[in-house]
Amino acid sequence: MSSDYDYSDEEYDDDEEMLDAEDGEPSTASDEEMDIETDDIKVISKGKKKLYEVEYDPLTQAEVEDLMRGDVENISAIFGVDATAAALLLRHMDWNKDRLIDKYMDNSAAVAAAAGVSPASKASSPGPERPRRSTRSASKTHRKVDPAPQPFVCPICFDDTQVETSELSCGHAFCTGCWNAYVTGKIREEGEHRISCMGEGCGVLAPDNFVLKVLDGDTETAGRYQELLVRNFVASSRNLKFCPYPSCTHAVSCHVASRSSLATVVPTVSCGADPKHKFCFGCPIEGDHRPVLCSVAKMWLQKCRDDSETANWIKTNTKECSKCQSTIEKNGGCNHMTCKKCKWEFCWVCMGPWQEHGTAWYSCNRYDDKTGVSARDAQSASRASLERYLHYYNRWANHEQSAKLSVELYVKTEKKMEEMQLSTALTWIEVQFMKKAVDEVEKCRTTLKWTYAMAYYLEKSNQKELFEDNQRDLEKAVEDLSELLESPIEAETIPTLRQKVTDKTVYVQKRNEIMLEDTAQGYEEGRWKWNTPVEGYD
Amino acid sequence: MDARLRRVNKEIADCKNDKSTNIEIDLIDNSPFHLRGTFEGPQDTPYAGGRFNVDIAIPPTYPFQPPKIRFLTKVYHPNVSSASGAICLDILKDAWSPVLTLKSTLISLQSLLNSPEPDDPQDAEVAKHYLTSRSGFQETARYWAQVYAGAPGAKSGDAIALAGLETAHVDRFESIGFERGKVIDVLRRLNYRGANIAKIPEDKVVEELLKN
Repeated sequence: MSSDYDYSDEEYDDDEEMLDAEDGEPSTASDEEMDIETDDIKVISKGKKKLYEVEYDPLTQAEVEDLMRGDVENISAIFGVDATAAALLLRHMDWNKDRLIDKYMDNSAAVAAAAGVSPASKASSPGPERPRRSTRSASKTHRKVDPAPQPFVCPICFDDTQVETSELSCGHAFCTGCWNAYVTGKIREEGEHRISCMGEGCGVLAPDNFVLKVLDGDTETAGRYQELLVRNFVASSRNLKFCPYPSCTHAVSCHVASRSSLATVVPTVSCGADPKHKFCFGCPIEGDHRPVLCSVAKMWLQKCRDDSETANWIKTNTKECSKCQSTIEKNGGCNHMTCKKCKWEFCWVCMGPWQEHGTAWYSCNRYDDKTGVSARDAQSASRASLERYLHYYNRWANHEQSAKLSVELYVKTEKKMEEMQLSTALTWIEVQFMKKAVDEVEKCRTTLKWTYAMAYYLEKSNQKELFEDNQRDLEKAVEDLSELLESPIEAETIPTLRQKVTDKTVYVQKRNEIMLEDTAQGYEEGRWKWNTPVEGYD
Repeated sequence: MDARLRRVNKEIADCKNDKSTNIEIDLIDNSPFHLRGTFEGPQDTPYAGGRFNVDIAIPPTYPFQPPKIRFLTKVYHPNVSSASGAICLDILKDAWSPVLTLKSTLISLQSLLNSPEPDDPQDAEVAKHYLTSRSGFQETARYWAQVYAGAPGAKSGDAIALAGLETAHVDRFESIGFERGKVIDVLRRLNYRGANIAKIPEDKVVEELLKN
């Protein structure tokens, strides 16, 4: 038996390099320079990175928090304000540092008021008449030690036995118990990180340290608050996106998703928590939609949602008027049709004009008549566009369905792998080739699926034919490999099966790369022409 | 004592002691968390002289969340649903502040009656009426106040006047052979009032009448 993963047939002479590249794939982004200066990097074809891959950084929640802290510290140092005030300012400007710096340098008081760092203006402040402490610090908690002539009555709970009060920089004092109930409710019930002063119409916001203080050790709510802050940070940052998979807390940082670059790049990223967590950075599609551009994929999905069922129904239940091409459903009556729109009278059976039927009411035996044939030709032309759509849609849907079935295939394959270990001397590690093959099939089916969406919108040309050649080669290879995986296992054939599957896997992988590489290159060269206007693409 | 209960009790007591505003808050059943508020329609408005009841439900998170208030008395007003009594008012939603009280909220409702906001309507049909014909709207609002809120000149409800329509218009379509109730319903929905009438061809009305 030959050694594992020895693919060095002449046919696949560049396999080694390819496998290397694959191993290094998840970390390509991190080990290259991650300097954020190059704002609009398109696909960079250096090193091992493929043309169809983009640079990105998977981030854990802690790393996102570090980024956030970095921004806050940066602003805090520039403006000379404390970190909590800097955080409020940044949140107010949706974490756009440049804009914040511009505006703040222009009129710091107005920006601070709008961001809820300080009261709007002394004159219109609706605060109660209390001596205002002139302090820069955003929050203050103080104990009433000296017996005041009038005991403090909290204007919210009307309790005069409370001794501890808190207030924001606006000076509206309330008892700490009320603050706690209020802040807890805002965070837990409303999922709100912007917590304004309880005073009526008061726009001052509670800074983080104040929130944490009044929460008084309620770590669960504090954790939720932190989560809300991170969410706001990620949602505001153009180059950050959360992994859309359920309960995944990872995020991805990517710098290529600017509007203009989406016309040439499909920024598929992975959050790093699980290799299956692949999604598109440029649009909300939760999965890998390479090689189709975001705007084309969106158009296709929209069309499928709107049209596929309707189109199927129309195809089976209607005909078009042979004169004005209106779609007509015959829901009863005789074959003498009169188009409601153009009043054209025709025969439902042969589609020819009714006059020629003479007195042959209710029956038509004139199928081969010339006018009838030409009427049916016109009809079939208008059907062609429907048929064309259904052709692509059915293949698209078929690959999607097959990719979904791969879960079952996995289970089956695992069983086969166990059988192999029992019936032969192969070890666990040596039967991994099956799993690898299933993974590859799934990956390629995803690619294939989207190639049909792409082909639907590609203008007929030599380029499209080349595209479809690549598509056909990939499809053929994938189907062959699928068939191999389904074939029964017999002890004596295992070595050959193994060799075949391994070879085929590598071949399929290669075809997939060619497909993706070629389309990506086509985008760069502007080789693809669409048969319909595509958003952001000229 | 529970802070919410203490606060609500004090609010009810304060309201009882304050005779100047003519605002009442009563218990509906024996719970202090389900109340009925009553206030007078503001002077110089179609609502003057009527007494309006609202249903007040105090949520468990009160006063940190706003009370849930809706009109029990039927009111013809752009920001109040003429069917359910639901109210569109910012302080009952995100502009709520815990320092606001039931009394101050009821005063706000009173001033809402005084100054409708037809651009942010709760009842789109009423808002359209308000924008099409101010005097027609006021007449209908007045009529509703008389029928439902006991404003002076109390009348028993007449369906045409309640819908803010003119008897002549309803009669005309009724004479074609449509049922009276249906005619009122369609004309109200089409906002068949004032200057708008010229914009609605008769065919359109008949088409609507034939629809269901």
